[in-house]
Amino acid sequence: MTRAFSWVFLSVAVLFSTYPFFWMFLSSFKTNQEIYQPALLFPSQYNWQAYFDLFSSKYIPFFSIFFNSFGLAISQATVATLVSAGVGFALSKCSFRGSGALLSLVIFIVLIPKQTLAIPTFEWMSWLGWRGSLFSLLLSGAVTGLGVLFFFQVFRFLPSEWVDLARIEGLNRFQTYLRLLPLVSPGLVTFFVLHFVLSFHDHLLPLLLLSDENMTLPLALSKLKDSSHRIPESVGMAASTLATLPMIVIFILAFSRLRTALREVSLS
Amino acid sequence: MPRTLLTRDRFSLFFLLGPFLGLWTAFWLIPSILGLDLSFRSSGFSSGEVGAVLNGEIAAKSDSFVGLENYRKVLHDPRFWKSISNSFFYVTGSLMVILPLSFVLALNLLSLNQKIRPVFAFCLIIPGLAMPGVLSTLFYLFFHGREGALNQYLILPLGLNPINWMMDPSFILPSMVLQSVWRWTGVVTLFLLSGLEGIPKWQLESARIEGLGLWERCRFVWLPGVRNLMLFSAVFLTVEGFASFSGAYSILGGSGGIMDSGLLFVTYLYQVAFPGGSGSFDFPAASAMSFLVVPVIALFLFWVLRMRSMSKVS
Repeated sequence: MTRAFSWVFLSVAVLFSTYPFFWMFLSSFKTNQEIYQPALLFPSQYNWQAYFDLFSSKYIPFFSIFFNSFGLAISQATVATLVSAGVGFALSKCSFRGSGALLSLVIFIVLIPKQTLAIPTFEWMSWLGWRGSLFSLLLSGAVTGLGVLFFFQVFRFLPSEWVDLARIEGLNRFQTYLRLLPLVSPGLVTFFVLHFVLSFHDHLLPLLLLSDENMTLPLALSKLKDSSHRIPESVGMAASTLATLPMIVIFILAFSRLRTALREVSLS
Repeated sequence: MPRTLLTRDRFSLFFLLGPFLGLWTAFWLIPSILGLDLSFRSSGFSSGEVGAVLNGEIAAKSDSFVGLENYRKVLHDPRFWKSISNSFFYVTGSLMVILPLSFVLALNLLSLNQKIRPVFAFCLIIPGLAMPGVLSTLFYLFFHGREGALNQYLILPLGLNPINWMMDPSFILPSMVLQSVWRWTGVVTLFLLSGLEGIPKWQLESARIEGLGLWERCRFVWLPGVRNLMLFSAVFLTVEGFASFSGAYSILGGSGGIMDSGLLFVTYLYQVAFPGGSGSFDFPAASAMSFLVVPVIALFLFWVLRMRSMSKVS
């Protein structure tokens, strides 16, 4: 009885979370008229025109936008992972003066969303002359309190004896850290993937900082939507599908590691 | 400890902490100080100076110190208060739906076998992987409108009149909450599920031996097991909710919707700083808004976390 209930309940939830995306994918083949009838799932005929339009850059230079987004997200996630792993290790395995203050600082960074600092950041980047380039977003997005807290937990899970052993062997802390990194690879992968998604989705800072030739996907999507009177809706749907697909693939690949790491982190 | 080891460790610490602290100073501390400074200056921009702004000649333009004038202006702005109350409603609404719903979903997932559980969990997080802009487009086209799924499958079968989710002022905010629920429930479920899986088997065994019912097992075994994760999710959702911009921006085109009923805090911040059309760029007022709101929220959440860790120790 309860098992049957679980199945029904979860199936409804899964339906809610996946069905609209099937509809989105199938809508990329539809005409405008068909899209405005949401109850309709399958298109009357499969028309690949929207994808051709995207790939031939008819409305927006889709390829360059896509690679802007992708490259930015990958490099931001890499920098963020490496930088926060170091601090997480130092906080959990080294004792030094000011570590308590640093931890409070990190928590404050988590609690103050960077969107609210957007206007001064805009000013600062303008002053530096970095506005318009992807570079400005790469470094500013790499400071993440969440990452430090995550790695703080991950490294706390490792036995301290290993650190002591490394010290007896005559390694300094930085060398110890480098040796221990492979042991926390599920954590590294997990945080990389999570940060990748966050920076792939970021909208406000790119909107302020990027120039039109360096557009990222969220900007391109809202631009497509704004001008949907001239551009068929199916193009927006095709772009949305192509923007969502890489995330799903990456998550499928990383999902089992992600679950391992989350289970470890959530233990304490 | 010998002296050489100490100095060598300082060297390691420099490499471990240096990059983070450097980036933090450059992209967090300096912008904050700049913003604070900006919030005390007069708004020296008119629409004629858009060109100057685009050329990056900003710092020089607003040079007169006006003290707390901007703060006074913001505090007397009804739209500011409207945006705060909207954001507050948005955050509490999402929290009150997402947390219980995810907990129940996670419990149900736990009763499935090991093979099928990840598949269901993965399907649930798919909305969290899509961009907020994509979600709003889908929401607009799929759920919204007389023909939309919400009206067709939910409202009409109940015998009610179809609701205009994005145009009716009293439904814009609830439909934004629904959007956030749709986006985050799966992710929070995944967090809670990983917490539930970490609960030691013997606790459940002893609960069974003592003959605890479903409700008592929830209260004494499962809820305590994920209490920290719940708190973490709540804090995350609160911060994320106050910072949310993209969804509302894509759906309402940067406006607050009809009668400002969908005006969120960050959207308003953006509007004040970069008004479209003939408005004037008011960076100082926008900074003052940030400095009025953000520290309050951050201190409140910090206090909540602090209380929690204190009670854990005692």
